[in-house]
Amino acid sequence: MSSETSTDSLQPWQLFTLAGLIGATVVVFVSRGQTPAGIVLLSLSIFAAAVVGLTAWRTFAPLSGGDQPAGPQMVAGRTRVALEREKALVLRSIKELEFDRAMGKVSERDFAEMGARLRARAAGLILQLDAGASYREEIEREIARRVGGEAAKAPARSGQDRGRSEAAVCPACRTTNDPDARFCKHCGASLEKTA
Amino acid sequence: MSSLGYYLLLAAFVVCAYALAASVAGARRRSRRLIESGIGAFYLIAAIMAAASSIIIYAFVVGDYSVKYVARYSDSVQPLFYKITSYWGGLDGSIMFWVFLLSIFGSAAVYVNRERHRELIPYVVAVISLVQMFVLFLMIIHNNPFETYLTENPADGKGLNPLLQNFYMVIHPPTMYTGFVGLTIPYAFGMAALITGFLDDSWLRAVRRWTMISWLFLSVGLGLGMIWAYEELGWGGYWGWDPVENAGLLPWFTATAFLHSVMVQERRGMLRVWNVTLVIVTFFLTIFGTFMTRSGVVQSVHAFGEDPELARLFTIFMVSILVISFGFVIYRLPLLRSRNELDSWVSREAAFLANNWILLFSAFFVLFATMFPTLSEAITGERLTVGPPFFTKWMLPIGLTLLLLTGIGPLLAWRKSTLINLRDQFIVPLGSAALAGGAVVALGVRVWTSGICFALCGFVVGTIAQEFWRGARVRQGSTGTDLLTALIGLVVRNKRRYGGYIVHVAIVLLFLGFAGEGFKQDEQVLLRPGQQAKVGDFTVRLDAVRVTDDGQKQMITGHTTVFRDGKELGRLYPAKWFFRKHEEEPTTEVAIRRSVSEDLYLVMPAFNLEEQSASMEIVVNPLVNWVWVGFGVLAFGTLVALLPETVFAFATARVPDNAVTTSLLLLALVLWPAAVMAQSVQTVAPTERSAVERQLEGEILCTCGCRRPLATCGMFNCQGHASQTAKLRQFLSEGKDHDQVIAAFVGDFGSEAILAAPVDRGFNRLAWLFPYLAAIVALIGIVVTTRRWSTRAVPAVAGDAGLDPALSARLDDELRNLD
Repeated sequence: MSSETSTDSLQPWQLFTLAGLIGATVVVFVSRGQTPAGIVLLSLSIFAAAVVGLTAWRTFAPLSGGDQPAGPQMVAGRTRVALEREKALVLRSIKELEFDRAMGKVSERDFAEMGARLRARAAGLILQLDAGASYREEIEREIARRVGGEAAKAPARSGQDRGRSEAAVCPACRTTNDPDARFCKHCGASLEKTA
Repeated sequence: MSSLGYYLLLAAFVVCAYALAASVAGARRRSRRLIESGIGAFYLIAAIMAAASSIIIYAFVVGDYSVKYVARYSDSVQPLFYKITSYWGGLDGSIMFWVFLLSIFGSAAVYVNRERHRELIPYVVAVISLVQMFVLFLMIIHNNPFETYLTENPADGKGLNPLLQNFYMVIHPPTMYTGFVGLTIPYAFGMAALITGFLDDSWLRAVRRWTMISWLFLSVGLGLGMIWAYEELGWGGYWGWDPVENAGLLPWFTATAFLHSVMVQERRGMLRVWNVTLVIVTFFLTIFGTFMTRSGVVQSVHAFGEDPELARLFTIFMVSILVISFGFVIYRLPLLRSRNELDSWVSREAAFLANNWILLFSAFFVLFATMFPTLSEAITGERLTVGPPFFTKWMLPIGLTLLLLTGIGPLLAWRKSTLINLRDQFIVPLGSAALAGGAVVALGVRVWTSGICFALCGFVVGTIAQEFWRGARVRQGSTGTDLLTALIGLVVRNKRRYGGYIVHVAIVLLFLGFAGEGFKQDEQVLLRPGQQAKVGDFTVRLDAVRVTDDGQKQMITGHTTVFRDGKELGRLYPAKWFFRKHEEEPTTEVAIRRSVSEDLYLVMPAFNLEEQSASMEIVVNPLVNWVWVGFGVLAFGTLVALLPETVFAFATARVPDNAVTTSLLLLALVLWPAAVMAQSVQTVAPTERSAVERQLEGEILCTCGCRRPLATCGMFNCQGHASQTAKLRQFLSEGKDHDQVIAAFVGDFGSEAILAAPVDRGFNRLAWLFPYLAAIVALIGIVVTTRRWSTRAVPAVAGDAGLDPALSARLDDELRNLD
């Protein structure tokens, strides 16, 4: 077996497979007077040894590389995945509920009540996900705003209140306020919309 | 070579310790490097165990009898296949095999989930490594399979126990072990979730699949064990409530309970503490089962013998599992608090609660009855036996209730079923139950339990058929395809639910087979060549008794011809095999003629070569094949449920080999050409046995050490059997009734240990009363907690009103795209 020429250097798994094959070949020549089953098992042992080598490499290689903390970005990724999964689950539940109604297992009243609850949850999740999708853009806009020093046109929100309504941005001075704020902390204008 | 193997085990232990330390440290310091390294070390364990396994198999294959384990469990004449499988034929090797499987299974689980559940993985690695460390520790200090003889290596080994030289016995232990070790994975994920505090439902999703896979292996393993017992042990049945069998059944019950209750959590967010508890208990029971069978705490036909040192180590391990696991559960209780609310008793949640109650009770009951001899020895100093009669008596109602729930559960709606729903849902199943029950009564059934069982089977089948039918109709309405496409689409779209229903069909088939037990006919007869005996519709004629030898064993075969209503069906060859070096324990080779409706099961317990006579045990086992078919269907249903979401082609679901072979076998046997042949020969009446005698044979133990009741002792030339039967006959001829005979046996033997089930008196009353008490207490507990839940129920929230119409439209859109 020859190593892949498309990559510059020998990949570790290729190296170890090669070593295993060479070892097995050597075994076949060296072990005379063995039964075929014996030779097969010896070759298997050699291969197992090659795998041991590979996994040992897998154990020690990460230690030599630079360490990235396994913290924040992991959690961010996780929440997004979790949100998506939860949305899928809720959507599926709605489907199943509709199916149950069609099968005549749920009364109309229960269906209305449970369905509404599930739909509200799904809507909430969709909103949250929408907010998350523009997360990166938002950061960039925020940076642009701060670096540029001019008031960005896009609404900038802190990580906590994404997904909330626009009410948190003061219509008068464009200051970002807490989501539950009723008056702007900068100019004192009322934040309550006249909707 | 063998010392290399030992060093590999030592290395594996060290690597386990490293994996544990690296991943815990990595998780706490949030160091990617350490976590990755820990995962690598975890894979390394699997590689090392593979190398060690191939070394020990090599030793078996080349016959390196300097290794004690090899010398004890194999010999040179054994076929290659059995040489390889001798690896797990004994205690030490089976422990090693256990670690090997766990490392492979664990690596697969970590590999699959490493991205999806990143925050859990380090602790999953740590927990599994810890379990592996314990078992490796056992091997290194106590059960080293690579131990060699210091001097005088034997020239040949002793050979594998002949009973284990059977195809089913070869695949049964690996399947069983895979099921057992597989249940470590859910535990590891559960513990990781408890430790990290990421106790949302995501860990459950990772765990569900692995539990299902393990459950599949466990079920198939139990089925294979049953086939093995049926074909190899030769006592006419397939389940003897032996401690080793029970050890496999215990985690099966709790895993089944978990698979059901996890649905409640996914759907309603209830029972979160309960699910974690079930995962822990299931894992504990796998370890406990291993402990029971390995340490000699419980006596059994196929336990590995007594070993107090091992028992001590296992006890320490088990206690620490319980303390640490439940410690974490208590520590995390605030995070596990869930919004429990039960809207109605007539809801699927309530049905699941009932299901869990029954399953847990079964597990508890089996555990208690299995441990009762040990308990009674500790308390009264007398080791009693709790045998099949006790189990059958108690498990029968439990099993029937479970079957009833199998039928009711799917009919109920989540939250609340209204009266109109109920009438609408129950009419078809009840009709089918009445039909099945009526048919059974019309056919003139003698055994009422079997009759109820048939009616319940009809009920469940009605339920499932209705579910499929209505579901397909609904889907047909929404997609506009033909019924068959709609049906397939239905299953594909909701694999877990309909896979689950297929498993329910399998359960029905199993129960059908169990119900057949009630119609079992069992006769013993002594035949000379040319003589024949009649049992039920079958007539068995002995033609000759012949002796052959194949170098490994001497085979004594009874050549018989079987007729049914005068028509010749074929020839059957029950035999006794005497393996070299194991002459004192010959194996019984059963001859079975299978058909859909019943099996004719021939055993030759004894023979006389000079007279050419053979005593024959002729058993007619009705419906027994449905048990095997049931296991096949069960495996199929689980595979359907396990199909990944992306696999759309329903046709790619492979039917398990088991089902194919069994069905093919059944087909082949049904279509077997039957030649007509009329002969006039002398008919011998089977040995006359009265009803009381048969009953007593099931209640009094054989004394040959087989620990089975007289009726099912399958030992060859069993002295105990002969003397006990003679004694029983004598007592009965003296005119003693049932109770007097029992009293006489207990008097003669000096203790109640001679009985298969304890007499209902004194301390033993505990054995009879306890299951009931436990069930009632558990029921009260459930009622109290659920009542609390139902009073806490919050009023319904407002309807769709608050939802933005644009958002609502988008939601509808997404829902439409989902299908």
